[in-house]
Amino acid sequence: MRHVEQVMGTAISIELADDRSPAELAALVGEACDWFHLVDARFSTYQAASEVSRLRRGEITAADCSADLRHVLDACADLWRDTDGYFDAYAGGLLDPSGYVKGWSVEVASTRLFEAGSVNHYINAGGDIRMRGHHPDGGPWRVGIRHPWEAGKVSWVLALGDGAIATSGTYERGDHVINPRTGEPARGLRSVTVVGPDLALADAYATAALAMGEPGLTWLAKLATDGYESAVVTDDGRAFSSAGLPAAV
Amino acid sequence: MRRSTAAAVGTLTGAALIVGVRLSVQPPAPPAAAPSQVNLVDNPSTPKPTATGAASKKPSNAGAKKPAEKKGAFKDGVFKGKAVKNIYGTIQVSIKVDEGKITAAEATYPLTGNSATINPPAIAALKQETLKVENAGDNVDAVSGATYTSQSYQQSLQSALDSAKA
Repeated sequence: MRHVEQVMGTAISIELADDRSPAELAALVGEACDWFHLVDARFSTYQAASEVSRLRRGEITAADCSADLRHVLDACADLWRDTDGYFDAYAGGLLDPSGYVKGWSVEVASTRLFEAGSVNHYINAGGDIRMRGHHPDGGPWRVGIRHPWEAGKVSWVLALGDGAIATSGTYERGDHVINPRTGEPARGLRSVTVVGPDLALADAYATAALAMGEPGLTWLAKLATDGYESAVVTDDGRAFSSAGLPAAV
Repeated sequence: MRRSTAAAVGTLTGAALIVGVRLSVQPPAPPAAAPSQVNLVDNPSTPKPTATGAASKKPSNAGAKKPAEKKGAFKDGVFKGKAVKNIYGTIQVSIKVDEGKITAAEATYPLTGNSATINPPAIAALKQETLKVENAGDNVDAVSGATYTSQSYQQSLQSALDSAKA
């Protein structure tokens, strides 16, 4: 069963490949969508009534926030340290944890689906994917990485059972990633894909590397020891990948 | 430690600050085998500015203790400069002197700071390859890419896959 939900400013595609009744699958998809709308209402920087917006305006303090928001703030602080400051929820001045929230919310949704009995599924939130088990025909999920200049083509095809694939790039929404060291838009890398066990981390690592620019290539190489592989395309069209990238055969 | 040696190490330290970025991307150089290592930082014989009144009462007797050497020659050995912090990390230079002449000079890569995390030593680099342009066709279940908006989703490959499945 495939479903597409418009939420969080993007489209979230959900595929459940479990051998369950259509009604059961629909109920599971419904619960996942309810969760994404709750996340949107709580974390959106576009909705004035969201918890993040109220925190920004100083109407509430971190101590007043939901456990989810406190978790997100802690995780952003950890990632700021782990990325040498390049993943920065305050890069634009005001708190904007969106770069963590999307991957984290998908991670939570996938865990809940798994606990509810869906062991074979994927969730693609705007290009960042968490998958488990296998696709309907039994093999691993096959995921294309979009070519950074040709929207209808792919540069890599990966095969994955359980895991996450996140891509940050400058070709969809322009200069939206800021290098927090310079305050200027990130330069040097056009597309950074990180593959690993956790989508929230993979997404944050991809964003941090994009902010670093070309030095990010060396930084990404270090992540392999933690189980995060990468594939990168530079602004001038050079392609790089780590040795353990799970390329499809 | 001779004053002239200290000056040479100081100059190299300055140079290391300037070229810190480039040095940081090089593999770590093994420390030079040191027949007699002298650390400028801790060496009590390192000449110090004589700004205090006590020090100025008496002229420095360092000159009297100097062993006889040819003018301009350095004392043999390996000399390490002071570890200097810059925004890229900590860099330390060392020179090797044989028969009164500098025969080698090198700088350590940063062990701390930005370059230490961005350019860690001994990590396999990503390998360069040809950027492929492939038709995904029926070959993929999903597509990963830079985050699309609700609007740009309509033109995405993922959207085409979803439509085919619906």
